[in-house]
Order: sequence, then C-alpha cells, then structure tokens
Amino acid sequence: MEEQDLKITKLSFIQRPIPIPADYRPMYKIALIVLILRICCRAETSSLLKLHLFSWALTSDDNLTKLREYVTSNFQSDFSVWGIEPALNRALQFSIAENICEVANGKNYKLTEKGNRFYEMIDADNELFSKEKTFLKFIGKSKITDKRLTAMSNQWTINYDEN
Amino acid sequence: MMKIRALKIEVNTTSGLFGAEYNFSNGLNIIRGDNSTGKSSLFQSIIYGLGFEELLGGKNEKTMQSALKDQVEFPRNTLHTITQSFIYLEIENNEIITIKRSVASSTRKSQLIDVFEGPLLTGDNQALESRQMWVHDSGSASDELYGFHLFLTEFLGYNLPEVVTAKGDLHKIYLQQIAPAFIVEQKTGWSDFFATMPYFGMRNTEQRVVEFLLKLDVFENEKRKQQINSAKQVINLKWQNLYNKFQNLAERCGGKILGLESSPSIINSYGGIYISLIKDDKPITIEDLNRILKEELSILDSKQIATVGSNLNQNESLLNKLNDKLNQVSLNYELLSPELNFDKEKLKQYKKQLVGVQDDLRKNKGALKVSKLGGDLPTEIAKNICPTCEQELKDSLLPSDIMQIPMRIEDNISYLDSQEKMISVYIDGQQNIINEKEKQLKDYQSIALELRQQIRDIKRELIQDERLPSIVEIEKRIDLKRKVEFFNKVIEGFYPLIDDLKNLSAAYSLILNRESNLPKDFFSTLDRQKLSTLKDNFIQLLRIFNYQSKPFDAIRISQDTYLPVAQKTDAEQFYNIKFDSSASDFIRCIWAYTTALLQTSITYNANHPGILVFDEPKQQDMSKESFRSFLIELSKFSTQQVLLFASFENSDASFAEATQGLTFSINKIDELLIRPIDND
Repeated sequence: MEEQDLKITKLSFIQRPIPIPADYRPMYKIALIVLILRICCRAETSSLLKLHLFSWALTSDDNLTKLREYVTSNFQSDFSVWGIEPALNRALQFSIAENICEVANGKNYKLTEKGNRFYEMIDADNELFSKEKTFLKFIGKSKITDKRLTAMSNQWTINYDEN
Repeated sequence: MMKIRALKIEVNTTSGLFGAEYNFSNGLNIIRGDNSTGKSSLFQSIIYGLGFEELLGGKNEKTMQSALKDQVEFPRNTLHTITQSFIYLEIENNEIITIKRSVASSTRKSQLIDVFEGPLLTGDNQALESRQMWVHDSGSASDELYGFHLFLTEFLGYNLPEVVTAKGDLHKIYLQQIAPAFIVEQKTGWSDFFATMPYFGMRNTEQRVVEFLLKLDVFENEKRKQQINSAKQVINLKWQNLYNKFQNLAERCGGKILGLESSPSIINSYGGIYISLIKDDKPITIEDLNRILKEELSILDSKQIATVGSNLNQNESLLNKLNDKLNQVSLNYELLSPELNFDKEKLKQYKKQLVGVQDDLRKNKGALKVSKLGGDLPTEIAKNICPTCEQELKDSLLPSDIMQIPMRIEDNISYLDSQEKMISVYIDGQQNIINEKEKQLKDYQSIALELRQQIRDIKRELIQDERLPSIVEIEKRIDLKRKVEFFNKVIEGFYPLIDDLKNLSAAYSLILNRESNLPKDFFSTLDRQKLSTLKDNFIQLLRIFNYQSKPFDAIRISQDTYLPVAQKTDAEQFYNIKFDSSASDFIRCIWAYTTALLQTSITYNANHPGILVFDEPKQQDMSKESFRSFLIELSKFSTQQVLLFASFENSDASFAEATQGLTFSINKIDELLIRPIDND
C-alpha cells in the first residue's frame, strides 16, 4: 500500500440503531401487564410489587424456574429477592395514559374495560405469548396472595438487617 | 345425481302453527313469487337444510331471515312471535332421505340435524328410522358417526379430493366449497364466479372444484406426484439406515467408509465404495491391509520361533523405540484432553445464548403481532406516539435521556433471526469439533494401550531364560492371527450391505424414472377434450344469451384457473372476462359458465351433482329476450333438476312471455310464503 493511501484526514461515525431486548418494547410490557392483571389478580387489581414479581419472573427462564419451584415447593425453597425494573413502571404509565389500566385506591393498578377487551384480543390468538399465558395460568389468582407477597418482601428487611 | 324432492317449513308461533310445503320435480322448476313474498326465505331454507348456509355468509340460524326465527307476518302488518321453527328437506340420490333441522328452538341446537331414511314429506310412512348428526362442528366433515356433511358426501357417492392447505398439509375439500358451482345466491352470487365459496384456508379451491366436477385427470397426476414423493422419503430413510450400518462397520475396525454418500444417489460402480484404514500414516483399503497382514503371518508361520537370547539386542532397541512412542502419544493425549473440555464448555455457552436469542425473538414477534392486531389495542403506542404528550416514542421503555436509537421492531426481529442462524451454525461447528477430538482421544488411548502391552511383553522377555522361545514373537503371531480373523469378519459383513445398497440404488433410480415420466403438462388427452368442450359449451351459450362485450374468438377457458378469460384488444394477454364485460354481460357469463359446467359433466359422465339452483338470475336490467333464451336452455335439462327463483317483475304478462311454450313445473308463492296451517 502506498503511504499516501494511509493519510486519513477525516473520520466520521454514524450512530446506528441498536437492538434492544423485547422486555424494553412498550407493546410487550403492556401486553404482559394486561395478562398479569387479568390472569393472576383478584378483581383484576394488583399492587405494584406483584406486577414487578411476575414481570421479573418472565424476563428469563432462570427466574421463571425459580418462582415456579418456590410455588410448587409450597413456598419452602430459597427465594428472596426479585428485580424491580424501571421499564415496567414506564409501561404502566403508558397503560394508564392509554386507559388500559387505572390506579385504584391510590396505590393499586386495575384493568379497565378497554384493558379487558385488549386481553380478549390477545387471548383469542393461541400462539401469541403462549409461554407467558401458560406460566401465568399456572400461578392463577390464588397461589400468590397479597399476604404472601408481604411475607416475601418482609423477608428482604430481615435479610437486609442481618447483613 | 342429486334431486330436491320437497321442502317443508314448520313454524310454531304464539298464535298457532304456520308453515309452507313445496314439491319439486325433475327438469326446470320455476319458483315464482312477487317481491317480498318470501321467495328468498324459500331459497335459503333449501340451502340451510343442506347445511350450506356458509354460502349466505355465515353459520347456523344467524343466516336465516327473521320470518323463520323471530316473527311471522300474516296477513301483512300482523306479526306473530315464533316459538319454534323447523325445516324439512327431502332429497334423492338413488335413495331418498329427509333432513330435519331447526332454525329457532329453545331445546335444539341449530347444528343438530335429523336424517330420516326415507321420504318423510311425500311418502305415507311417517315412522321412519332417523339418525342424529352434526353440521359445522369440527367433526362435521370428518367424524364417521355424526358428521352430516360426511354422510352427505357418501350419500352423493363422492370421494372428495384432497387439497393443499395454506399450512402445507392436505385436507379434503369441503362440500360447501363445491356448492357455489351449482347454487347461485342472489346477493353476492352474481358478483363473480364462485363468489360465495367459503374460505377454509385452502389454496386454489376454485380450480380443485372444477377439476373435481369435470373429473379431470390432473388430479390423478397430482396424486401420483405425491405418491412418488412419499416413496422417495421411504428410500431416503432406508438409505440413511444403510449408511449408518456402513459407518458402524467401518468404525468397529477404526476406519472410515469412503465413496458413499449419506443421501440417496444412483451408483454405477460399487468398487469405489470401501473401508479405508491407516497403516504407517498412509491410507489403505481394508482388503489390502488384510492381504499384507496375511502375508506377514504366513512368513512368520514358516519360520521357526527364535529364542529369547537371539533376540536380545533387537528387543532392547525396540523397547526404547516403543517407550519414545508411548511418551509421544501420552503427551498428545494430555494436550488434547483439556482442549476438549474447553470446547465442551464453549458449546454449553453457545446453547445458552441460543435459548436466550430464541426467547427474545419469540417475545419480539409477540409484541409485533400485538401492535398489528388492531381494534382495542393501545393505539397511540402502536403508532409510536406518546399517549400523554404526543411526542414521538422510540418504541422502547428505555429512559428518554439515553441517546441511543433502538432498532425498529421489524429490524430487531430480522437481526435476531440472523443471530439465531449464526449461533446455530456455531453450535453445529462446535459439535463437529468435539466429535472429531473425542475420536482422536479414543485413538490415542487405544494406541497407548497397544504400546504398553508390547512394552510389557518385551520387558517380560528380557528377564527370561535366554534359551526359551521368544514370547514377543509368539505374541506377535497371535495378534496377527486375531487381526486377520477380525478383518475377515468385517469384509464378510461388508458384502451383504453392498447388496442391500445395490437394491436400494435400483429402487431409487426407478423412482427417478417414474418422476421424470410424470407428464410435464399435467393435462391428459381426455382433460384437453373436456376443457375444450367446456369452452365450446360456454361460448355457444354466450352466443345464445346474446353476449356482446367481446368477440367470441377472444374468449378462452384458462388452463390455470378453468375460468373464462378474454383477450384484450391489441394485446397478447388474457384477463378475467369480468373486466371486459358489461354488467349484464357478466351475468350472462355466470349463466353460461354454471350451465356449461353441468352440460360438460353430463357429456363425460363426470361428478356434477346434476342440479342447478339460481336465485333471481334476472339481474342488471337483463333484456327479456336473453332471459327467455336462458330459460329455454335450462328447460332442456329433463333428467337433471333446475330450481329457478324469480319474480318476473311481479307481472303475469312478463311471466307468460318468458315461459311461453316451455316445459317446466311451476311453484307460485301466493302473497306470502309462510301461512297458517290447520292443526289437526
């Protein structure tokens, strides 16, 4: 190569779109919120913490197995902390703005009528989110109650204090 | 040939029993009724009785008019609420059966059909055996016991063809899909050929229907093609099996099979297929090696066994050599072994990555599907607009101050797709590397084992009495003998496999021959005749009906769709005849095509059920002369049956003018179809 060829006078960079995990797609998270509220929550109403628990469980197979084992072992297996992701909070804000769910009693999230119609639409397609549906239906409305959830999160304080 | 013998409608209302009963004969039946007398109800009742209401655009009682399910009007402007209503339909095809189906009933589902084995309406015997069946249930077209359409298919003596579905598997065509070829409904039936054909996710159903009605051989060819394909698959499987046997055999003696492919091929020379082994780092065929070993053995056998003493020096230098060799092999083994563990770990990582990518891909596809669902979904977000501030969203839940642009979800999916493919390739490659290394390790092991044995023998001999015969040499002879015997066995096992291979290769070449013998042009001579007759009949009828839009020599029947096509002026191409015909001329086309199908089927004794049903065929301000010529043509079918529902512009004069001098049966609906019946 001639020396001339190497005389670079200008370098420019173009920012390309980056791939992001589906967990950061609004549509995926909103659909997940709708599925959780409808399948796993009494009166289609849930606390923020519960939404985070299921959303976290569905982010990876490892998490999913962990939660499933915790439930099938009658809440005896080791299970302490789950993740809280800002992405879910943003998806919740979108859902409220779209009138998919609403805030009930100032702290809980409740599926609206539109949200329910949205659920029917997702439910009509058997292939769509089949893994999510199977898992959430396995959990159902009664396996993880608010009381259980409080007990689980109290565990955090204990663990934290001990450390 | 199917015939509709009689129809009875029975309606219970809060003011008593109402109903209607009509009998039909062979040949042309004109059902005449002024507008809004219930002519369409009568037509629909026949369709409904046959379970063909998908032609009316729906399923079950929803498709029926309110006069049969909600309220009866009699006399005009007096309404009676319906409590229950039934339709009875008596049909004939060699045997006579009567179908009973409810429209409105609080106790019976409308999918339920009673089939009476005999003429319930026209016969005297009211105590007929009956069976209950289901229609429009998943079982209706396939369940042996309860599917009404399966029963009707057998009743008509049909063996319905299988067609390829959109998913790629085979499914029998549905009876309701054939019906639009002989039943033309008023509202949409006149808009196109086969316009009311229900869609069940099958491909090219219109063509299959015409092929079936005209019994074209194309079908047979299609079927033969499928048979050949499945025979090919069988051979493929057998070949795989045989190939594995060859490989096992070769692996047992530490070699590989050469000259044989893992997928079927025609083999001309079998000499090129052999087991290749390694001797002194050079490839050699098993037979050559065996010959060399045999020679060595016979030389050894002819010599006297040397004593320990005479071999002493030789043995010492051999021992050194062997020890060196063993060291080398052990070293190789120890170098390779951790490498293999490293490779296995890498494979595990790849597999984990693949699972992750696949899951992400699945979720992404789900999200994309949801945003395309339409309807009640979060619409603003689907359009990438923030529902609160109407700013553009970047289709992500990342904090907005991150200065990254995420890929569009479609791009993300194709990105993940290619990732998945790439990782799969890695995994395959890694697996190959691992297999290769495992084999290498095994080889090292067996070589080491052999070396150690030899070293042991030499050492033992070195400390023995010098006058004894040499163990090493004896051992060598025994070893050689064993090897020769083993190779002999392998070679013995090899030839039967070659024979199997010969048979299989011959079978494969036969299949390929049969495949190439399939006509490139799928039409048989008879098919061509039939299609040409169809075309002649069609054009002849157009001429009679006074079709004007195109010259007749520019009209063909398409070889692909079997529908009429017309050539554009000054152009080569043919188009659907609809585009170039005036509205009334297109109606003439549907008349002519539907009639020509029956005519052609009669000529060649094909599968047409021999019945035509037209609901108000006088569409689009059709001229009286054309309509009369249509009736004349229809009245020529004397052994078949034609049911024609028409209003004749509510005028006796135009009825008389249209039908003068024709042979036909008339059923006139006077004032209203459904009227009170005396309850006995």
